[in-house]
Amino acid sequence: MALNAYRITEEPYYHSIGNEIALFDAAYAARMPMMLKGPTGSGKTRFVEHMAWRLGRPLVTVACHEDMTASDLVGRFLLDAGGTVWHDGPLTQAVRHGGICYLDEIVEARQDTTVVIHPLTDSRRVLPLEKRGELVAAHPDFQLVISYNPGYQSVLKDLKESTKQRFAAIEFGHPSSDAETRIVCTEAGVPEEIAARLVRIAVSSRNLKGHGLREGASTRMLVHAARLVARGVALATACDIALVLPITDDADLRDAVRAAIAAVAA
Amino acid sequence: MNEHPTVPTVPFAPFERRLSAYLVALWRLRAPIRPMRADANSTLPRRLRLTDGLIWVPDSLPGVHADQAAGLYRAALVHAGAHLRFSGPRFPVGTLKPIQVALVSLIEDARVEHLAMRDYPGLLHVWRPFHVAEGGGTPNAPGLMARLARALIDPDHDDGDAWVKKGRSLFFDGRAEWETHEFSRRVGGLLGNDLGQMRLSFNPKTHVVEPAYRDDNLGLWESNLPASAEGETAYESLRTEREERDDGRSDDASPGAEVEERGPVTETPACPAGEEEMAAPPALYSEWDYRIARERPNWVRVVERVPGVEDPVEVRNAATRHAAVADRLAALVRAAGVGRPRRLRRQLEGDRLDLDACIEVMVSRCRNEIPDPRVHAALQHRARDLSALLLLDVSASTGDQVPDGARPVLAVERDAAALFATALDCIGDRFAIHAFRSNGRSNVSYYRLKNFAQAYDDTAMARLASLSPGLSTRLGAALRHGGRLLARQSSHRRLLLVVTDGEPSDIDVADRRLLVEDARQVVFSLAAQGIDVFGIGLDPGGQDCLTRMFGPRNSTVVDRVERLADLLPNLFLTLSR
Ligand SMILES: Nc1ncnc2c1ncn2[C@@H]1O[C@H](COP(=O)(O)OP(=O)(O)OP(=O)(O)O)[C@@H](O)[C@H]1O
Ligand SMILES: [Mg+2]
Repeated sequence: MALNAYRITEEPYYHSIGNEIALFDAAYAARMPMMLKGPTGSGKTRFVEHMAWRLGRPLVTVACHEDMTASDLVGRFLLDAGGTVWHDGPLTQAVRHGGICYLDEIVEARQDTTVVIHPLTDSRRVLPLEKRGELVAAHPDFQLVISYNPGYQSVLKDLKESTKQRFAAIEFGHPSSDAETRIVCTEAGVPEEIAARLVRIAVSSRNLKGHGLREGASTRMLVHAARLVARGVALATACDIALVLPITDDADLRDAVRAAIAAVAA
Repeated sequence: MNEHPTVPTVPFAPFERRLSAYLVALWRLRAPIRPMRADANSTLPRRLRLTDGLIWVPDSLPGVHADQAAGLYRAALVHAGAHLRFSGPRFPVGTLKPIQVALVSLIEDARVEHLAMRDYPGLLHVWRPFHVAEGGGTPNAPGLMARLARALIDPDHDDGDAWVKKGRSLFFDGRAEWETHEFSRRVGGLLGNDLGQMRLSFNPKTHVVEPAYRDDNLGLWESNLPASAEGETAYESLRTEREERDDGRSDDASPGAEVEERGPVTETPACPAGEEEMAAPPALYSEWDYRIARERPNWVRVVERVPGVEDPVEVRNAATRHAAVADRLAALVRAAGVGRPRRLRRQLEGDRLDLDACIEVMVSRCRNEIPDPRVHAALQHRARDLSALLLLDVSASTGDQVPDGARPVLAVERDAAALFATALDCIGDRFAIHAFRSNGRSNVSYYRLKNFAQAYDDTAMARLASLSPGLSTRLGAALRHGGRLLARQSSHRRLLLVVTDGEPSDIDVADRRLLVEDARQVVFSLAAQGIDVFGIGLDPGGQDCLTRMFGPRNSTVVDRVERLADLLPNLFLTLSR
């Protein structure tokens, strides 16, 4: 069966932080295009994986980038011995066979690329393949999900209003301390006490957001640090390489974050 | 601490930025840090001081070894942070004797430190190294107090003195009450009473709080009770310093006094004598009044004036003065890939074949279609289609000195503008630099220092060099005028960057919200015209107001004015990447 490779067989661990699962269920039932907003490493990708698994749908993920063209999404003709063959792009595959298509970091793609999703995301639910002269009607199970990081302070890179307004959005913030501790414990297999301490560190780094740091430490960074700790690296060192060094090059802010890390340790 | 008069002093300034970031990280505390200078008798203050949420730090702490200075400043700032976070309202002195006042302060110090250590146990290692008081010798009050301070942070340290032991048990047995600052008052009062009865001499005039990282605790008490003679004079100097600062700010306009006249501006306003020449006929703009939720039409009058001309050498040398920043910027401009070539596909001619296009040609042939002849790829320099307007606030408050003391804010703004201009010149984006100030609604002055069409040359630099601070900040009007000029640019993206020193204000506006709401309204309407407005605030306390005007995504506060030169061009690169 098509898209079998994209099926998720084991439950991806996802710790719910609000009613986002119920909301997504409802949106999927209405086949409403969804936008996941939130800072990097806040669990957006993990959430779609989990939802695709829950809903039993294959998940086709495309990481968007600046040089991506519409053909990269939709498909192109290729040559083989017998002549030409059409190859469906990832979006077309999901549209035809009823998968969830997740366009990660959609703002990275150029606006002339993103418009190909417009006919899919209104009541038409069709994907025109111009080169091939085909109009693909979306499979009833198809759904489009995009992620969008509003933290980007770039006026040149933003979604068009006409694109934005086609989506319903779920916002991902930083989880509550308890929830985040549980996530770090589970993901990295460290004792709760270590996880709690890492979360405290993250909270102080997030205090610096807008005061020198563009973003505080993400859950992803905490999981990284915790995994190092689980492999025997000392907590301060683990935080240094997984958190302090990647997050800023500013010596004063590094000093402040390091000092906060030392303050959290007993 | 060993206080040798001979050791060289270590100034605080290099540590300020990292330590204020530290307080933000720990408690989201944005406490303004102010330098505390020697007073008229040139006695150097020996301890920090807290007043009304400000942290006063001596320029340097005398008698501290260089290798201890970093640790001491850190301990001092975190201690101050703990007070700001956990100390309650000021204590009334009431009938307390001076020695009791000293002890209540001491217990309060220990209380806030322990509350801070509940969340951040590691702070113990920040403070404890400075507690070195030992028993021995003839007991005296300051010595016993230093030993008590040590026993309260280092309960395992064995101090033989009965009073110190009593203090330690009173303090730790009462840990359930640490949350209330009444606790300090009660326990300190008791211990001070005991100490008083021992008939040990205590001179409040010469008493200095130990260890050295602790502040003088004046800020804990209701009256301006000086803890020592030195405190008294220092307090005086502090008062005058604050008054000087407050003078430059116009937000003290008597509240409620509506000085605004009604009705649109007439065309014949009384222009103060000796004013600069007009460069263009005045323009009238409306202003949003949130109280009536409507625009007042033709309410403000913006006059373009001919900027002065000064020797451009100061401005030309900005890059040399900020050599490190300029180098970093040049690298960033390169890395931003602005000049980086872009691969153009499907060209009729080019320096290489476009593989995708070739495949399509083959495909078309097989399908008996006419192939697309555009099978080449070429490299082309990326075309940016962006106009940027940098709008500088040159109101009176930009005459304030930067905390490092050497230059006024305006000089920093000027350097930042110069670096900004150099960077944009390299990139090749169209840009303009304008400045504004106001003197009532009929007299908003607007200066074009460099126009979009002009080159960034000696003329522009000479105008930039001529800026001097004065008058007020009617931001909305300047935004409207700048926005109109920018709207005439035909580029794809238009970006308006405003550098402003705090809240907008003007002499004829008493309601502080009015101009904020007006600016906010302008930002909205410019956004609707496809002009992005970004606000950069120079006043660390102005975050809320800036966010209100520009929105959280489109505003930022410079944590140290000195960094503006670094930040402004960088910000532009980020915004326009
Ligand atoms: N709610 C959560 N439940 C389980 N794991 C989580 C959760 N939130 C974050 N994580 C952890 O954080 C990591 C990063 O999350 P994810 O990759 O989903 O981030 P993202 O929001 O997609 O980031 P980006 O915007 O950079 O793509 C995950 O691998 C997982 O370990
Ligand atoms: Mg104190």
